[in-house]
Amino acid sequence: MIEKIRQALSAALPCDSLEVRGSGGHFSIRVVSSAFAGKNTLAKQRLVFSAIAHLMKGDDAPVHAIDELETLAP
Amino acid sequence: MSLDPALRERIESIIRSDRVVLFMKGTPDAPQCGFSAQVVGILGQLLPEYGSFDVLSDREVREAIKEFSSWPTIPQLYVEGEFQGGCDIVKELYASGDLQKLLGVEVETVEPPAVTVTDAAAELLRGVIASEGGELHVSIDASFQHSLSLGPRAGHEVAATSNGLTILFDRDSARRANGLVIGAADSGGSQALTVENPNAPRAAEVNQLSASQLQALIASGRDLHLYDVRTPEEHQKARIAQATLVDARVAEQIERLPKDALIVFHCHHGGRSQAAAEHFASRGFTNVHNLAGGIDAWSREVDASVPRY
Repeated sequence: MIEKIRQALSAALPCDSLEVRGSGGHFSIRVVSSAFAGKNTLAKQRLVFSAIAHLMKGDDAPVHAIDELETLAP
Repeated sequence: MSLDPALRERIESIIRSDRVVLFMKGTPDAPQCGFSAQVVGILGQLLPEYGSFDVLSDREVREAIKEFSSWPTIPQLYVEGEFQGGCDIVKELYASGDLQKLLGVEVETVEPPAVTVTDAAAELLRGVIASEGGELHVSIDASFQHSLSLGPRAGHEVAATSNGLTILFDRDSARRANGLVIGAADSGGSQALTVENPNAPRAAEVNQLSASQLQALIASGRDLHLYDVRTPEEHQKARIAQATLVDARVAEQIERLPKDALIVFHCHHGGRSQAAAEHFASRGFTNVHNLAGGIDAWSREVDASVPRY
C-alpha cells in the first residue's frame, strides 16, 4: 500500500522528498515539493489528497485516514 | 467524475442550512472519530451553536461530500458556503486567529505568561538550539501534558522570555502557562528538562478503604453510595449486596449527588474503581473512596460467600 501511495504522489507532484509511513489503513505522509511554493495549507493538502483520492474512496478504501500530513516547499 | 445532480443539490442544501456547517463522524456531543472531535473542540470554544451533519448516518452524503469538496477525508468545515478544510487546517486557522476572524468571533489578545527558565535549563536549551536550530515551542494541552519542541516561528505565537531565551506558545497553551518553570534535573546520568506548572490541577484526592472498613461503614448505617464499576457479566458472577452497577444512567445520577456525598467505588481488584473515583474527585466530589483490593478483598476478608473469580 505504501508503494501505491508513493507512486500516486510521485506521478502527480514533483517530489524532492517523499516519506510514507503507516499500516492498517492509517498513514502518515511527508512531502517536499516545489509545487507547494507560495500555496496555503488548504491548497497544499488538496494537491496531495487529489493525488490519492482514488485510494480513499468507498467503505473499504485501502487508505482510511492520513493521520499526519506534512507538505513542505523546498 | 460527476456527482448525481440530485445528490449535489442535497449537499448544497445542507451547506446552505447554516452559516457554519461541519461534516463530521458522529455529532458535536458524541464525535465518533478523533479528527472530528478535535474540530468540535475548537468550534465549541468559539460558537454557541453551529450546523453539523453526521456522515455516518448517511452513506450517500458520506461519499458525495468527498467528491463535492474534492477532499477525501472527514471532517470538512464549511463557512458561508465556502469549504475551509479538514482537521489540520482548522487547527492551523484557529492557532493563527484566522478562524476567529472568519467566524466573526472577537480574538482577545493573550498576554505573554510569566515563565522562568532556570540557569541549568537555559544552558541545556541554548546547546540544543545551537545544534538543531529553530525556536523553542512549548505546548500545554487541556490535561496539562507539556511538550517541548524546536521549530520555526509561525508568527502567531505568544512569546515569553526568561534567562535570555524566547519561549513560544500557542494561544491556549499561553493561557495555561503563567508561572511555568522550566528546569533541569539529572536523569540517568544526563541532564533532562523538567516542567513545573502551578496551573495543573493537583491529583484528585481519593481515600482508600479496606474491605473491613467498608463493612464497618455499611454497618454504621451512614448514608453511603456504593458503586460497582465492573462489567454486567462480572456483576452477575459476584456482587456486594449494597452495590449498584454503574451504567450511563447511574453515572448521571452520581453527577447529581451532593458534592460531599459519601461515595465508594469498587471493581475486581481496585484499579478500575480507582480511576472512577479519581474522575469523580476531579469533578469536585470531596468524599470519594476506593475499595482497596476490590471485591476480591471483600470475598477474602469479609464475606466468603461472594465467589472469587
